[in-house]
Amino acid sequence: MKAADTGESIAETVSGLIRQAVGDVADDTDLRMIEGVDSVKVLRVIAAVERTYDIELEDEEVFALKTIDDVVRSVQDAVQAQGA
Amino acid sequence: MTAEPSGGQPEQQRQPGQPEQPEQPGHLELPWRVLPDYRCFGCSPVNGKGLRLRFQPDGDGIACALRFDRDYESHPGVVHGGVLSTVCDEIMGNLLVLRVGIPVFTTTLRVRFITSATIGADYRCVATTTADSATPGPYQARAEVFDGDGGLVVSAVGQYHPIAVEENRDRIDMTDEQAILIERELAKLRADH
Repeated sequence: MKAADTGESIAETVSGLIRQAVGDVADDTDLRMIEGVDSVKVLRVIAAVERTYDIELEDEEVFALKTIDDVVRSVQDAVQAQGA
Repeated sequence: MTAEPSGGQPEQQRQPGQPEQPEQPGHLELPWRVLPDYRCFGCSPVNGKGLRLRFQPDGDGIACALRFDRDYESHPGVVHGGVLSTVCDEIMGNLLVLRVGIPVFTTTLRVRFITSATIGADYRCVATTTADSATPGPYQARAEVFDGDGGLVVSAVGQYHPIAVEENRDRIDMTDEQAILIERELAKLRADH
């Protein structure tokens, strides 16, 4: 994690990674409902996010994530907890 | 690949039940090779029942090529998840030893299976860490298994506790001579960093 990882920069990075994988979707779109996006694709992008921020999200959390907004919130919480 | 790894023991022919790992030129020499009877299930080239993993430098980390036959199957046609977990653990542990020059023991291993791996197909496992010899343990490393198209198949994170050879003597069955041999190899690694 970089010192400049504010909530805003996390949102920008995470949404960028997700859109790169699934296409240009709204922040509140259910990712698994997008045509051509399956659970493997979602898990892969979440793994990329975890790697980017060197965090580990809990499985229960990961499987409950539906939208870009959800992922951003989870990452922000994890990064904040890591720095605490 | 050296013809006589591990203290001069001839490399064994593949036995039934032994994974046929793809050839990798320019593999890394692990410090354990100096032990005359080095049998690590993950990385000894002479353990006929082991995985016989060979590692190569890969960017900031190390990597190994993988291919498993049906002796390593779970569901029909699917590589057993425990085998892939072992691969991830093995590559992370060896990366850390090569990086910090101290033996490490796994304390936590978290493995996420993204999708299944297919028997007979080629995969590649890559491990990275931010740990170095200047930082105290415990160390963390990350390992990922990719398919032939670069798609992520397994993602793993491990936590490792460093324990110096001398502190390890009551846990590991080693003679004084073997401990000296290993410590000499590890000291070379520490000097290189």
